[in-house]
Amino acid sequence: MVNDSNSSTDTEVVYQVVSGNVNAFEQLLKKYESHVVRIVNRHIPFDKVEEVAQDVFVRVYKSLPNFKKGGSFKQWLSTITVRTCYDFWRKHYKYREIPVSSLSEKHQVWLEEAMATRSSQSFDERDSHKEAKEILDWALDRVSPEDRMVLELVYLEGYSVKEAAELLGWSTVNVKVRSFRARKKLYKLIKEMA
Amino acid sequence: MTPSKNEHEALREILRRAYREKQKVDVTKQWQEEVMHRIRDLGEVEGRTSFFAQFEQLVWRLVPVTCLLILGLTLLLSSVEFFSSYDLAQLLVNHTEEITLNQFFGL
Repeated sequence: MVNDSNSSTDTEVVYQVVSGNVNAFEQLLKKYESHVVRIVNRHIPFDKVEEVAQDVFVRVYKSLPNFKKGGSFKQWLSTITVRTCYDFWRKHYKYREIPVSSLSEKHQVWLEEAMATRSSQSFDERDSHKEAKEILDWALDRVSPEDRMVLELVYLEGYSVKEAAELLGWSTVNVKVRSFRARKKLYKLIKEMA
Repeated sequence: MTPSKNEHEALREILRRAYREKQKVDVTKQWQEEVMHRIRDLGEVEGRTSFFAQFEQLVWRLVPVTCLLILGLTLLLSSVEFFSSYDLAQLLVNHTEEITLNQFFGL
């Protein structure tokens, strides 16, 4: 019920904006900025989050006439946010320099220990989140933007294949196959490093 | 050597924890103003529909015209003597001395 009234309020605001009241968009911005920033922060490097979140709202504004009445605005917004993050990586990969740096011996030792311990509790005690983060970033930097998005959504965030497919606008079969292959690729990269 | 399921799960858990550990981003009033500035620069969004939406509208507008055209062509074809390509081919084969390609094209 609360969701319904929320949706109708959002739809009303969308209608106002599309009718020419540009300032009404500020209501949507203030209501959903933290939601958008949270999603962007999960996929994009820290220093680029604000910039990409801005792009998301500009894209949302431009797409408002295509928003279907009766649909969930939040869900629609999430879809645009995830796709903007994917576009960021596509652009980034196009112009980036091929990473040649490898991880240090410290990372390799850490990974060997972490794999051997097989306990997440020990991982907490080890106070080595930084190494894990660096290893993850290193590995994600070596897969395609498509694999990266699928890995982040399905493997790391725990979305179902169907949910990830909806967010990315891909078929469920595509996400399922890509998820399987990307996971294998990730393991291979990490195992080769260890 | 193929890694065991436990090893995979342990690695996944480690990576998930690392992934979740992100520095929190708090947007400022200035950021909000920048977004609204960009939005205002874009101008009103009214009437700016997508290509597909415009195409859909055009298709529906053309439906009555298309129906009339189909009806008109049906009437025309039923009133005019119609030769199928098979009939024409048969005519050419059987009466080659009379109907040449030149005659057929009216040259």
